[in-house]
Amino acid sequence: MNIADFSDQLLTAMINADRAGAADIIECAVAAGVDPPRVIAHILDPAIVSLGRLWEGEAISLAQGFVASKIAEDALLRCLPVGGVHQHTKGAVVIGNIEDDFHSLGRRTVGLFLTAAGWDVYDLGNDVPAEQFLKKALEVNACVIGASAMMQTTALNIRRLRRLIDARGLRDRIKLAVGGAVFNWRPELVAEVGGDGTAHNAVGADQLFIRLQSQVKREVAQ
Amino acid sequence: MEELHRLGLIRGELLFLDSMLHMYPPLLEATLTAALEHHDGQSGRLVLVYGDCSARMLDLVRRFRVGRVNVINCAQLLVGRDRYRLLMREGAFLVLPEWARRWEHLMSSELGLTRGVARELMGENRVVLVYLDTGLVPAPEQELAEFSSYTGLPWRVEAVTLDSMLAALLEAEAGARIEPDGQEMR
Repeated sequence: MNIADFSDQLLTAMINADRAGAADIIECAVAAGVDPPRVIAHILDPAIVSLGRLWEGEAISLAQGFVASKIAEDALLRCLPVGGVHQHTKGAVVIGNIEDDFHSLGRRTVGLFLTAAGWDVYDLGNDVPAEQFLKKALEVNACVIGASAMMQTTALNIRRLRRLIDARGLRDRIKLAVGGAVFNWRPELVAEVGGDGTAHNAVGADQLFIRLQSQVKREVAQ
Repeated sequence: MEELHRLGLIRGELLFLDSMLHMYPPLLEATLTAALEHHDGQSGRLVLVYGDCSARMLDLVRRFRVGRVNVINCAQLLVGRDRYRLLMREGAFLVLPEWARRWEHLMSSELGLTRGVARELMGENRVVLVYLDTGLVPAPEQELAEFSSYTGLPWRVEAVTLDSMLAALLEAEAGARIEPDGQEMR
């Protein structure tokens, strides 16, 4: 079986809420010689991207999407090194769901991907006030805050975090990444809430954070 | 809402859409838009009793200049923001009367879960089942006990008044556009 077949099978298992089946597919892939980083990059990532397309095409329900995403999180956990192996990290980042938002799955998955990619991730959890985001970011010297919101009204609460960062004169030092389902449905919301960037899914979070970190380095150097 | 209407605490006509549209937010949005277009320009005030149930709910409010309850979902409408936050931090899975009656269908057919996977997922994400009891219908204790057994989570009944909902509805009504010929809440 080739890598693409594994990915297709994983997607099917995710959609069918077949948690055990998904675990078996990951284990089979590893047993067949696909190392965990390649499992993430070539089996899990394409499955997540395909899942997103199905969701956007209304081919699966909200509930199916949730369960499938949860299974993707399981699969990712199976591929991550225990205890972390990155001796030189990319830097510290702070993530959390903005105040009043309790949809944690996407945020957790982003946190796993970022950790796997070598970031020091400080996950503040759900329903996080703007002040708490900024306090933690300053405490750990984070260059990026990732604020997650699933829905439109809670996404608008991110504006308070934007205003707080700007009011403290930290716009050049701390970038604001925003994410969550609603930003995929309506990309214009990124600018509306003052986000410096977004990623379509957890797979793209690492590249987004690298880009934002490089902006900070450029702007601080100027 | 029907009880508040019966008591004369809210006025106007109550219109309901299928609650299962929540499973398909774009379809909900399209159905809601069609309903709003149908009533647009008619006399009275229009109040949207929806939480953050689709990606463009606030756009609908702006486009049709309707009032909307300032909550993220129906459970928050019943218990209010502060209590809702505490329940979420507790890890509560909130159960409303309509959901309680259909829990088995929802878990197996809508979510496609087997009992084992459902039990795993619920146990990993939630701590307790909390039925929000308005007192308007008997608490479905048998169904709750079965759902508890199915998920492996303990359950409890929490009494709620209609005060938070009434306040949210009246606030939303006050924010709705008034057409010249009437003052109805829909």
